Amino acid sequence: MSLPDQLKHINISTRISILLGLVILLTMGVFSTLSLLKQKDDSIDIITNNSKQLCETIEKILRFSMLENRRDEITKALKDIVGKDGIRTVRILNHEGLIKFSSKKSDINQQISQSNPRCTGCHINKDNMLESSAKNFVNYRIDNQKNLVYNFLPIYNERSCYTEACHPTGKQSFSATELQSYNYHDSLQTVLGFIETEVSTEKIASNLVQTRTQLIIITIIMALMASVLTYFSIRTLVGKPVRNLVEGTRRVAKGNLKEEIPPGKAELGELSNSFNLMQKQLLTTQSQLIESEKLASIGKLADEIAYEISNPLTGIIIFSENLIKDSDEERIKDCEVIHNEALRIREIVRNILTITQRELPEFKETNVSEVINHSISIVNKLSNFQNIQIVNRSQKSLPNIPADPGLLEQVFLNLLLISSESMLSGGIINVSTDYVKDSSELDITFSDTGKGVPEQIIQRLSDSNNTSGLGSTERTGISLAVCKNIIEMHKGKFTIESKIDSGTTINIKLPVNS
Amino acid sequence: MQKQIKILAIDSEEIILKSIRKAFDSDEKSEYIITTCDTAMEGLKLIRNDIYDLVLLDLAMPGINGIEILKRIKKLNQDIPIIILSGYSSKSSYSNVISSGARNVLLKPFTTTELKSIVSGIFKIENSKE
Repeated sequence: MSLPDQLKHINISTRISILLGLVILLTMGVFSTLSLLKQKDDSIDIITNNSKQLCETIEKILRFSMLENRRDEITKALKDIVGKDGIRTVRILNHEGLIKFSSKKSDINQQISQSNPRCTGCHINKDNMLESSAKNFVNYRIDNQKNLVYNFLPIYNERSCYTEACHPTGKQSFSATELQSYNYHDSLQTVLGFIETEVSTEKIASNLVQTRTQLIIITIIMALMASVLTYFSIRTLVGKPVRNLVEGTRRVAKGNLKEEIPPGKAELGELSNSFNLMQKQLLTTQSQLIESEKLASIGKLADEIAYEISNPLTGIIIFSENLIKDSDEERIKDCEVIHNEALRIREIVRNILTITQRELPEFKETNVSEVINHSISIVNKLSNFQNIQIVNRSQKSLPNIPADPGLLEQVFLNLLLISSESMLSGGIINVSTDYVKDSSELDITFSDTGKGVPEQIIQRLSDSNNTSGLGSTERTGISLAVCKNIIEMHKGKFTIESKIDSGTTINIKLPVNS
Repeated sequence: MQKQIKILAIDSEEIILKSIRKAFDSDEKSEYIITTCDTAMEGLKLIRNDIYDLVLLDLAMPGINGIEILKRIKKLNQDIPIIILSGYSSKSSYSNVISSGARNVLLKPFTTTELKSIVSGIFKIENSKE
């Protein structure tokens, strides 16, 4: 497995912790480096400023000693300064680069070349020793290898430097020999020489190394602490709920819908709650599915049994009818029992079929008027409607409603067939619809002039699941219950009014927008 | 003498065919002549070779769809009235078979009275047409 693949398997807490640690290391590293550089620059600035001030002080203190040519005093003073604040050496050089005084004895009378940085700091280059402008004047030099800072202070020529007033002879003019012995300076000279201090930066360097080490240690500790804290925080606040969710998902995938995951409050908590809700809904749907599958299996089995029974039962019924016709009186009674019981079995079978053959609706835009017309056209072809007049008053311009046209046709056909059974010697069936524009319901009415539906059947209709009448001759009731159930599946209302020997009126209200 | 009505009963179940024969043959002077067969192919052959006044057809014949046989019979003889014998009463029973050309549906198990009444009902309509 390659490294990127291995990284993919590291959990989210570890990944974020490592990432945060690296970010802190990088940020702190950059910050520390910049801080150290700034600190170094600032320290050098301080040293150079201090050195400059020191040079200026030396120049002021030693001016009289120099004017009066008190060489021993100058040398002693330079030696006294050394050792304080990292000052290693102090030198005074003349304009020609000759070291006239130094705290280090071996330096005295040494000549420095014109290419030396001490000279090129003020002069353009070694070939052209013209003085550069004050703007380009560089009064210090850093030697990083030796950890040294050199500071230069020019000693400018003043009247007192080239007049006799301050010198011991008191003469106005001097011979060349006199000038050499008294160290008089030329009045045309601008700069007589310079004071040079050599300051060690070793202390600064060691301080910087110490600070750097401290910063590295602090950075590593901070990164580690942040990583560890982040790791445990994410593990507790994110990892645990996520793990619960993952385990929950796996449980659901395995089909275990009963065990819930611990609820919470924040975003992940809401996710857990939603997951539990989804699981509950899944459980409900699964139960419904199992229930409907069971019902479907029972329905299929009932269908098979009913079909298998129907053939031999036809034989029993017809042959027993024949026996009744041909037998003597004593046997007729026995045959009638067989016949009646066979008819009873038939009713039971048909009632079971009516209940189990319920189908799920497939909703689509349906024109109720067309379904009514089609149902009427079907029954009009049947011989049992020979003496029945169907008056169709359904409106042509009805709005389309969401419904299963097949199931609605089953309802209308059932209602028409039930009416025909109650009017064996003929009668009238009125079918009408009523719809007021923009209303929410569509009204359908079937009324007949038949012998009516018994009160007990109407009462039992209020409980459509009551199948206690399967064994009796209540097929009409069961058919009506099926019709009511289909209408209720369409979120409609099914009401029945009936008067014995006067007729039945059935009213259906279907929602226009389901 | 009144013209006898020729009825062809097609059903895969022998007991149904026997019952139909029994129901119609029991009368001493039966006005019906009943022919029975237990396969759809034999039924179609009989219709091709003879003239029948009515066909009683089982909807659930093995190996062939009942509606298909109904359509084939109609192709052979457009005017022949057909009554479907059905063991099921699903929502498509009436609608499908009546739309396909059947005159009526008789649900199994049936009684002699129901069988005769549905058959005579057809001939009453036929006679009124004439």
